[in-house]
Amino acid sequence: MLNLSLSFSTWMESVRLCFHITLRNWTVYKKDLIANISPTIADPALVLVSLGLGLGSFITNVEGMTYMQFLAPGLTVATALFTSFFESSYGFYVRMTYENVFKAMLTTPIGVREVVIGEMLWVSLKGAVMAVGVAIVLALCGLMINPWLIPATAIVGLLVALPCGAIGLLSTALVNNINQFQSVYSFIIAPLYFLSGIFFPIANMARPVRIVAEFFPLIHGVRLAQAIFWDKGIAHAFMVSGSILIFQSLVFCSLAYWKIKEKLIA
Amino acid sequence: MIIANSLVKSFGDSTAINGIDLQIKKGECFGLLGPNGAGKSTFINMMYGTVQRTGGNLSVFGYDPNIDSRKIKKRLGVVTQENALDESLTVFENMMIYCSFIGLPKLDRKDRINELLKYMNLSHKKDARIQMLSGGMKRRLVFVRALLGNPELLILDEPTTGLDPAVRHLLWGKVRELHANGTTIVLTTHYMHEAEVLCDRLIILNHGKIAAAGSPQKMIEEHTPGYMGIFSLDEKETIKKILSTKNNFIHHEDSSGIYLRSSTLPELTSIHSDYGLTPLQIRPSNLEDVFLKLTGQELSIDA
Repeated sequence: MLNLSLSFSTWMESVRLCFHITLRNWTVYKKDLIANISPTIADPALVLVSLGLGLGSFITNVEGMTYMQFLAPGLTVATALFTSFFESSYGFYVRMTYENVFKAMLTTPIGVREVVIGEMLWVSLKGAVMAVGVAIVLALCGLMINPWLIPATAIVGLLVALPCGAIGLLSTALVNNINQFQSVYSFIIAPLYFLSGIFFPIANMARPVRIVAEFFPLIHGVRLAQAIFWDKGIAHAFMVSGSILIFQSLVFCSLAYWKIKEKLIA
Repeated sequence: MIIANSLVKSFGDSTAINGIDLQIKKGECFGLLGPNGAGKSTFINMMYGTVQRTGGNLSVFGYDPNIDSRKIKKRLGVVTQENALDESLTVFENMMIYCSFIGLPKLDRKDRINELLKYMNLSHKKDARIQMLSGGMKRRLVFVRALLGNPELLILDEPTTGLDPAVRHLLWGKVRELHANGTTIVLTTHYMHEAEVLCDRLIILNHGKIAAAGSPQKMIEEHTPGYMGIFSLDEKETIKKILSTKNNFIHHEDSSGIYLRSSTLPELTSIHSDYGLTPLQIRPSNLEDVFLKLTGQELSIDA
């Protein structure tokens, strides 16, 4: 009994510390809010205008809807991808290597577990907020069949940001210098972005591409977002794609924790 | 308070700490000296678990840092080698974040920060961004951060490297005060004078082993007793002549000058009266002489 309560208080303290790491990131983030938030707002807007309005005028029917309608859910997911990946790759790397944030943090009761969980909590919350933000704009453009479902996009943002953030964190642990993130971006993140059914139905793609895409979180996030935006088979999407995303989060987070620990504890 | 027995840390093939035995007592100011790469920082990091030992035993407050690092970290404060402050935040914001990490009660935080900022003469910078602080101010702030939790053990990892003499002396004063109030202190430094001024006991590490241990005075008496005369390198010939007739000098030479050590002061001053040679400096031998002797950088003039 004593043992149990002891481990419970340790657990509670761990939760408290994770929360404070997230809070710390927010404190730093909001100092430069405009600069930090602009890519998340500007990028989807640019895609919406250039592809949706521009290219979309040549495409009249994708799976029975306008191109803008087809594109909208994917943009929400892409936002969660980029906001989480960049935060936990470049962002974390800079904090770790140039700012030595963790050298100081690890002298406090914080351990690597709290660092990783705190970081993942931060990117998933950020992913959720950003996804909702983009969804609101898209709904105002009339691209969401049932705007009451906007809060549900928070779950999509969270479930996408978590594994994508973990991929970013994992790459942080594996790169030897900051330039190598460019390879990660070019060979993993950009292909994911373009080949996960955001811009066109994936069914038309070559079989190997489709199979590989299934192993990454984005495509499942896109399916989930599409169900919500198009108000079609939501329960099923949450059950299938949602579960896959949770499973992938667990896998990528564990890998990230394991590799980051090697980086922070010698 | 800290006990190490045949402590070993290897990174793959290389061994950073190679069998260290030491005890640091409560209330002591203990110094770790040694050339770059001797294992000082490795030892410090092992004390709170960010470096995991690979052999031997280590106990801090009775806990094993490989397992119970959090229990240890709750009772110590660290002045890290790198400042690691959030540059975009203000002094106060930085400290508030740390208070939350160490779990200081919310109501006490403001007072504790103000009190320590005052102690380190930083009150006027409370709302300044870190970017606007000088190097010395940042370092003082890192001291504030380390002291927020009122630690029993204060670890200072090269606390005054790169600081001007005024700030260095101010920090020494503060360390002495903390020491006088019973805080146990572990210090690494490259400044021998700093170690001499602050430490009750110290060790010199070389290649991961203890090359010497004891109080600064004892170490000087043991390894380089007496007085040191330093002469210009231009006097090489005359010195050679002196050494051929007098054999009671220990001599060595490096790029900064020729060093003659003698057990008594008159022997050294006699060089001036007998040979007309004016030394650059004559002083009691100090920890730097011990350090250079033991870390293998002492070279014979004849070699």
